[in-house]
Amino acid sequence: MNQSITSKQQFLAQIISRRYCLSAVCLFALQSVVALMGALDLVISDLPSPIPFEYGRAIHLGLADFWPLIGTMGMVYFFMTAELNREIHSPRLARWQYWVVMLFTLSIFGTLALRLGNGREFLEGKPIFYLGICLALTLASYNLIRTLLTDRQNITPAAATMTVGMIFLLLLLLPNTITFNNPIVDEATKFWVVHLWEEMAFELTSVGFIATFFIVSGLANRTQIEKWLYLEASLAIIGGLYGTGHHYYWIGFPAIWLILGSLVSLVEVIPVGMLVHMTYKGLKSKEIHNRREKLTLWLLLSSVFYHVTGASLLGLFLTIPWVNLYMHGTYFTSGHAHLALFGSLGFVVLAGCYYVLSQGSEPTLQEYKGGVLAVIILNIGLIIMSSALLAAGLKETYLWRILGMDFMDAHLLLNPYLILRVLGGTMFTLGDLLLSWYIFKAWRETNL
Amino acid sequence: MISAKLPSSIPEQAVAGKLIWQKNNCVSCHTLFGHGGYEADDLTHITDAETTEYLIDFLVEAPVMRPHKYARHPALDQIDAENLVNYLEFLNTIPTLGWPPQQEQVEDDS
Repeated sequence: MNQSITSKQQFLAQIISRRYCLSAVCLFALQSVVALMGALDLVISDLPSPIPFEYGRAIHLGLADFWPLIGTMGMVYFFMTAELNREIHSPRLARWQYWVVMLFTLSIFGTLALRLGNGREFLEGKPIFYLGICLALTLASYNLIRTLLTDRQNITPAAATMTVGMIFLLLLLLPNTITFNNPIVDEATKFWVVHLWEEMAFELTSVGFIATFFIVSGLANRTQIEKWLYLEASLAIIGGLYGTGHHYYWIGFPAIWLILGSLVSLVEVIPVGMLVHMTYKGLKSKEIHNRREKLTLWLLLSSVFYHVTGASLLGLFLTIPWVNLYMHGTYFTSGHAHLALFGSLGFVVLAGCYYVLSQGSEPTLQEYKGGVLAVIILNIGLIIMSSALLAAGLKETYLWRILGMDFMDAHLLLNPYLILRVLGGTMFTLGDLLLSWYIFKAWRETNL
Repeated sequence: MISAKLPSSIPEQAVAGKLIWQKNNCVSCHTLFGHGGYEADDLTHITDAETTEYLIDFLVEAPVMRPHKYARHPALDQIDAENLVNYLEFLNTIPTLGWPPQQEQVEDDS
């Protein structure tokens, strides 16, 4: 069964997608190290560092967005060709796009390390570099649209969903290359990336990837998967779009957003439910998987787990305006963000990157076990780290927001939790490096 | 979809202050409207709590940050500090629908 996939003709796009995925995994390895340094800086007074905390954090947030972005670019090319069973419109453009996105991504981190930035959370780099990222996204969108249009009779839902996701990534980033004078507009636009990239655009590319993965690996049949895909995609767009309102509660917007934001956020949960359903269908339909697919599934199931818990349940709790009034801007938000951003999106991109980079090989039993161990360590590390942040957030809410204690007095009492966060973060880093090593090995084995 | 009307037009000095805010990456530690870093106080309504002179002095003669013994808050020159405080004063006029939650002021006000 599975031989048929590996022996299938390999498209140029699939070879090109490997460099995206490898770069994404390298940046992910860097990410956990940078994050660990920042976490240490918070608990050790006067820790000497070449990069001050505020710029280290900026790099951390930038990495959080851009390693999944680069990985997604690779995954989308790979799974578009796998899904449509034909080459993309222009492999050359895809090669150029790789250099464009890498150049501007690294420019952002390089300049931030030199303390040059634009000071907008999650978009700390200079606006010109984001314009460069937009250029890469334009190349990607153009390439994908042309690929779809080459054979209009055979546009599949998964391919269309991934293309729309890529276009949204572009459209949502574009306004963020402008410098706004109005602080309310500035805040509002920022969430088109901070919220909508993840909860809409990446959701579409991920769902498309998962659907294609199930179909091409023969885990589930096409009709079963495709039945709901358009509905799921539409709900992700509607829910995601208006769900942005839950970030607009207190930034100077009218009160209508309190109602709109919290109610529409309920809609955002439906596509997550459908995602779980789709995954379940895929798992049930076939018993035997090879090790490579099993390891991909470990990563995928981790993502589904955080989709339900960290993103949906915790997220919904936070969108209740009365809860948000008190917990907004505390470490509780930080805990939620780590579970939602890395937990849901990060794991899915890792699943895709691993699958792409191990194409044509099969891990030995030992490698498979090592890979699973890495995934387990990552999960435990993430859960310890995020639980520590959530607990810190609860205490902070009580002391600072309810009792009205001075911010810094309250913050100093959170130290034990922040130390626990460092321990969780250390574990996460170990899992990260171990997994990256196995993925790197798979890449080397298949790099002909 | 966007209904981001300012309560009053933003003065030029506040616009300059906003750029100072961005240039110095203040948001990595502080929050505005609760959005930003978790390491330092929210500054949306700081001008209610502290006087303009105190804030400008704080920014120009940057003090050591608790719990550090040596590390100081990043410092600004006089003009930048004035612009930044002007921006913070402007932010204070934006209606935030009752956020942050009001409590009995137990202590503080220096």
